[in-house]
Amino acid sequence: MIGKTIPLLLLLPALVFAASLDGWMDVQTGGDSLSPEPGRLELGGMLSTDNWTLILEEQYSHEDSSGIVPRILNTYSRTDIDFIVDAGPVTINPDLCWTVDLGDKPEMVLPVQAGVAYREGFIRPGLSLAADFSENYHVFVKGLYWNRDLKQENGYDLAWTESRLNGGISCETSGFTLNMSGLYHKTNSDFIDYESTWGRFDIAFSTEPQSLPAHFYVTGDVTYSFYNGTNFLGNDLADRFTSRIRLVRMIVPSLAVNTTFESVIDYDGEIRPACTSAESRIIYHFMRSREVPSIITLSGKLSTSSIRTERAVLFSRINFYRGLSLLLNAEARSTPTSVAGAGDTRKWIVFGPGLEYQLATTLRVWGIIEQERTDLEEVEVWWRVRTGLEFYPGSLSL
Amino acid sequence: MTPYARVLVIVAAVLVLLSACKGPVESTQLIVDTDACTGCGECVEVCPYGAIEIIDGNAVIDPSLCHFCYRCVEQCPEGAIY
Repeated sequence: MIGKTIPLLLLLPALVFAASLDGWMDVQTGGDSLSPEPGRLELGGMLSTDNWTLILEEQYSHEDSSGIVPRILNTYSRTDIDFIVDAGPVTINPDLCWTVDLGDKPEMVLPVQAGVAYREGFIRPGLSLAADFSENYHVFVKGLYWNRDLKQENGYDLAWTESRLNGGISCETSGFTLNMSGLYHKTNSDFIDYESTWGRFDIAFSTEPQSLPAHFYVTGDVTYSFYNGTNFLGNDLADRFTSRIRLVRMIVPSLAVNTTFESVIDYDGEIRPACTSAESRIIYHFMRSREVPSIITLSGKLSTSSIRTERAVLFSRINFYRGLSLLLNAEARSTPTSVAGAGDTRKWIVFGPGLEYQLATTLRVWGIIEQERTDLEEVEVWWRVRTGLEFYPGSLSL
Repeated sequence: MTPYARVLVIVAAVLVLLSACKGPVESTQLIVDTDACTGCGECVEVCPYGAIEIIDGNAVIDPSLCHFCYRCVEQCPEGAIY
């Protein structure tokens, strides 16, 4: 016993002195006539050594309901604990996550016409293993298990569980990557006699040409996903072919354009286009020598499938004194909607100015006043204030 | 641009045009843009079917539970679901 204890005691100080401790905090809050008290608090801490890392993240969210636009109707907390161990080429990562619904329990519509249940939280242990066989070969396997606390109105627990197993291998050569992975998901509730399983096998190929003109960057990837299982109507899930290409062009050192095209095709006996999307973003950096670099970003995204979404965003941060910057945010969107009386599509515009203070990488405080104009039965207009604080005190060596 | 990169661009453009020209039909699954998703979890809160979960910092939609109500599409602050 003493023989084992002495080496352990000798090792302990070495472990402690090699450790570093990090912590961070992110708080956001605000209010308007629709959501008077939205708020989100995120706290995190990380203790790491050369061989292992322990991460604890806590999130607390609260948002009120609204009479016009459905939003988050809940108060909940979410806790994540990750323990990552690096043992040579192998990484072992057990983790535990749980949520607790603290306010009115959100309603969940159950499958197989089993009525509704009320969500109270879940606990989800998980384990992932990853290994690098060489510089080019990487394998991983990940298992997750959810035990959900879902209760019917009479208080009966649905014994709702889900398990998910995911694993794959990737092979990289210069400029090319081949991924093959499989996924199995099972949902089970004994109380309502519901069981559903579905699976997917992906073959993905991605490439990144190495010999391109200066300041030009292209990536492309294609994935074929074989599906096994059914949707909520009992119809087979179609196989899916996804192709995506991204082009990045730096026009001058301060101006870059980033464009992405995506095309999705489904196959279930016949070939059918499922979705097409395109996104472009122009990023302009200026006054880089100041404490906080200034930036203007203009982006637009369009997707068409059985629904159509459109989004355009203008964001600017202009530094004017030390860490102080003027913010301007404008967003226009069009999406399908569930708001009664708004028709199939809802269009809205949000815009407003704000102020931000940054203290190096330690602190960021911001506030923004926005006006939202939404096209419902008639155009509704309301004002909103949002504020936030991000704090990162830095790394502490132990 | 090298001939190889040029071919990539042309292939992608043809795929996009083919999809767009034939016109979309009913999607069998919604798409989550993992580059845009921040894992904020707002989609999880508005999904009435419990079909969305945050895994590894991204929203993941269970295709066997999704009823295509599109509430997550409307709610997502990043426009990452479509």
